[in-house]
Amino acid sequence: MNLAELQRYFARAATSGRGPLPELDRVFLGNERLSAEDRLAIYNRGYFYRLLEALASVFSQTKRVLGESDFERLGLAYVAQHPSEHPAVERVGRSFSAYLRRVAAPPLVVDLARLEWARLCALVAPNPASVATASGIDAERFPRARLRFVPSLQWLELDPRTLPVFAGDISAPGAADISAPGALAAGGAPVAVWRREHVVHQLCLDEAEWKALLRAASDATLSGVCAVFDRGSQTEDERHAFQVLSSWFGRQWVAAVAYDARQPNSR
Amino acid sequence: MHRIAAPQQTLSEQARAHPATAPARVGFGLRAPHYDAILSHGLRCDFAEAISENFLSRGGRAFSVLERVRSDMPLALHGVSLSIGGMDPLSEPYLTELAGLATRIEAFSVSDHLCFGTFGGHYAHDLWPLPYTEEALRHVVQRVRTVQDRLGRRLLLENVSSYVEYRDSTLPEWEFLSEVVTRADAGLLLDLNNLYVNAKNHGFSWLTYLHALPKDRVQQIHLAGHSDAGGYLFDDHGSPVSAEVWQLYEESLSLFGALPTIIEWDERLPEVSVLEAEADRARVLANDRLARERQIQP
Repeated sequence: MNLAELQRYFARAATSGRGPLPELDRVFLGNERLSAEDRLAIYNRGYFYRLLEALASVFSQTKRVLGESDFERLGLAYVAQHPSEHPAVERVGRSFSAYLRRVAAPPLVVDLARLEWARLCALVAPNPASVATASGIDAERFPRARLRFVPSLQWLELDPRTLPVFAGDISAPGAADISAPGALAAGGAPVAVWRREHVVHQLCLDEAEWKALLRAASDATLSGVCAVFDRGSQTEDERHAFQVLSSWFGRQWVAAVAYDARQPNSR
Repeated sequence: MHRIAAPQQTLSEQARAHPATAPARVGFGLRAPHYDAILSHGLRCDFAEAISENFLSRGGRAFSVLERVRSDMPLALHGVSLSIGGMDPLSEPYLTELAGLATRIEAFSVSDHLCFGTFGGHYAHDLWPLPYTEEALRHVVQRVRTVQDRLGRRLLLENVSSYVEYRDSTLPEWEFLSEVVTRADAGLLLDLNNLYVNAKNHGFSWLTYLHALPKDRVQQIHLAGHSDAGGYLFDDHGSPVSAEVWQLYEESLSLFGALPTIIEWDERLPEVSVLEAEADRARVLANDRLARERQIQP
């Protein structure tokens, strides 16, 4: 075999989920202490358990809810179908929540995995080049300005039980029965996840703030963002819009206020 | 010969230039469970080693740790995903990020492993052994040169522990390793635990291995623990450095001098103080060696 063939053969042996390959003894040496099959099994076990360990480190609450044996069964099946595509091992879980959905895991489990993946993305996101403050806003140009968010900010809609279950609160309504159908059909709970300093935070948003965030993220101007606050009372709507936008600056979600539409979003 | 100019004088070069006066440099690898302790108290060692992949394009706590440590001491970058012997093309984004990180923290060395760890566009996150053949040698040398050109600095390659031998291998491990670093003008990061594990697993003499290495290429040392898995030694980095590996260290000090040395520990990670104690032990041995050299000098 040439080098490419030998490496392909080794990789197949080390990542095979179906037992040893034929002809191992023709490629590798063994001895009385350890056969070629035993030797390749060391790499095979190491491959799967290293990736499983990486999954468990990212999806610790998903694992807690699923239980050790179900997590291991699903995790091993997942890594067999989704080998790592990133130099950093923890990124192997990029499609884990989609996989859980595909194998019909309970919606709460799927959403726990989505939340934990968002938390990882927030945790490892690059530091923002800058963090904007509300006091730095140019009032004259404010309506035409656009917000650029920090790289760590994530947003997603989740089963409303996800945050309490993540926090270990099984007394939350419906949290004790993970196999119960989720509440997404009735509208999921919008959640923002971000990192401030070294700590990852998550927060449920109200409907208006969620719409405003989606608009701001899709490059709407601030006047467009504020237009979502429309309950009929101008004073109340302005107060709400001010409160929400101020909180975004306070939570350090905003990397920059762009007065030029061509300034790209850093995310 | 393809030569790469080192961008700055490295710790190992200092040690070579002034073998009797340069103090022994010993440190250990940064690991996430220690980050809080590091941010609070810093580290008590001469230099530290960061796993490159844990810091590429990454902010937050990990990068704060790196900056904190770098403000106190030199940092070495040690990669696990370069796959220098792999058949997949070298990853351009990876090399770009690695070069950027090395520049940003003024890494005094950049190293990875003499192995392959990619297959069909995927990462194994393991250090798979290469067959020791002329074809593999030519392939690796070419890729080391490419990486060195890309990084603008010399790459250090570490010998890996292994549990298999290819029937097609035509060179002993030490000859393959020596030829790679010599032909590619690279440095050698000699992991004495890996050497010992392989000597036991494959039945060769660690003294033969050690004495066959090109002295001027050995630039850093790794020390770590292993476990006896019954039938073979397993390189798990989960225990103190063994008595046999300390013996190898003393032998390497006499052969290569007091080179920058890193204590590695990954499994069953103890408190930082345990790593500091291991580093102290290595420093005492290295300084003893230096003191003896000073006595010998006229």
